[in-house]
Amino acid sequence: MLKVENVKKAFGGTIVLDGVNLTVNPGEVVSILGSSGSGKSTLIRCINGLEKLNAGRITVDDFDVSKPKELAEARKRSGTVFQLFNLYPHMSALQNITLAPIEVLKRPKAEAEAEGRALLASVGLGDRADAYPAQLSGGQRQRVGICRALAMQPRYLLLDEVTSALDPEMTSEVLDILAKLAKSGTTMVFVTHEIEFARQISNRIVFLEKGVLLVDLPTAEFFSAEGGLAQPRVAQFLSKMRKD
Amino acid sequence: MRYTEFTPFDLWLLAQGLGVTVGLFLVTSLIGVAIGVLWGVVRFYRVPVLMQVITFVAEVLKNSPVLVQLFLVFFGFPAFFKLNMTPVNAAIITLSLNTAAFVYVIAVSSIESIGRDQVEAARVFGLSRWQVLRHVIAPQAMAFSIGPLTALLVNQLQVTSLISVIGVMDLSKIGANLNLRTLKPFIVWTAVGILYYLAAKLVATLGAKLEKRLRAHSAFRGL
Ligand SMILES: Nc1ncnc2c1ncn2[C@@H]1O[C@H](COP(=O)(O)OP(=O)(O)O)[C@@H](O)[C@H]1O
Ligand SMILES: [Mg+2]
Repeated sequence: MLKVENVKKAFGGTIVLDGVNLTVNPGEVVSILGSSGSGKSTLIRCINGLEKLNAGRITVDDFDVSKPKELAEARKRSGTVFQLFNLYPHMSALQNITLAPIEVLKRPKAEAEAEGRALLASVGLGDRADAYPAQLSGGQRQRVGICRALAMQPRYLLLDEVTSALDPEMTSEVLDILAKLAKSGTTMVFVTHEIEFARQISNRIVFLEKGVLLVDLPTAEFFSAEGGLAQPRVAQFLSKMRKD
Repeated sequence: MRYTEFTPFDLWLLAQGLGVTVGLFLVTSLIGVAIGVLWGVVRFYRVPVLMQVITFVAEVLKNSPVLVQLFLVFFGFPAFFKLNMTPVNAAIITLSLNTAAFVYVIAVSSIESIGRDQVEAARVFGLSRWQVLRHVIAPQAMAFSIGPLTALLVNQLQVTSLISVIGVMDLSKIGANLNLRTLKPFIVWTAVGILYYLAAKLVATLGAKLEKRLRAHSAFRGL
């Protein structure tokens, strides 16, 4: 279980997360919606230990990310896919994927590479294993980014607006892969602006507004008039997103 | 000294002087690069106190004349601390530290040129600071720094000529001696200048070759 309990985070005087509670059970897909600046990325960065919490607790399978000794275990259990890919530019697609399995999980190189190639093949990049990030399109880079996270066999996949730097065609190639992952039971925390897609793949949808988790509902309820839409901010947000 | 004509032996003297210059250059460059990189790593790890001390020492070394540093090491410290200091040792200490200060600057800026986002990605996947340095930062920082490093070393080769003033028999000192003996400054200093030029050209060429290899090896943009 991934548990976020009453988490507070401020940068200087600006409060960015104001008492957020969120639980993600294994096998669930939870989408996080919210307008730009509402704290979605910060929440993800708190979960993977890139930001220190000011208050509250985050545990990944009972490993507390705020405790240096437990952070390593917590990080082994969650894999992050970044908005801007964050690939290592001096390494080939395959090396990007195998670095952490070899260095962190101490997997034998040949084994890690075989798995890396299989992952690349599964996202349609079987023939680009030796290409460098700069030689790949945005959509291909993000697919490598997904493989890199999956190679660690994480129990929780954290995805922060992974398609927002991509054009529509590339977006759909990446979303297709995420849909498959969701179907196969991968647990995901999915920050996105792709409302329709979130609706299709999520078990639950949460809505973040100015650092407060306003709504946390099963997908169908989130989109129902008595459920999520009863919240004026959610209704406003959804109608604005639909227009864009 | 009575002046005399050039003899074939003078060529041998020049070669010896060149040997001393190149030898001191190589030794001080190796020590300087090693220390400068080490300082850069200390800064990368943000070691408290040590980091501030290094920044201060590097500042002082960068912003004072090498000749003054040389006099301080050769005359000042031995007088103050009652030590023995040979000209060669003073030259090695001074030039190594001076090179280290500039290598430190290059190391810091190349480490900082590596995007934070990649470093964060590596940390999130569980790599330790050392593993991040070794696998993500160092390979890119090296390709990035080789150009400035070559320029620095070409310059430090010229700077070695300063050590002739404390009596090290380097190329410049041999030139000065030959000049006094033959009273043919034009010929002597032209010959000495050409030798420095050739040595510098060699350093620059080797640096360019290495840079090309490092970059070709990593067939990616953005370096
Ligand atoms: N490192 C930081 N320093 C200062 N302010 C930050 C930092 N990171 C994020 N913020 C601020 O926190 C707020 C939430 O940012 P973010 O979590 O990126 O929102 P979102 O991902 O929902 O768009 C924004 O106002 C942003 O400016
Ligand atoms: Mg964001």
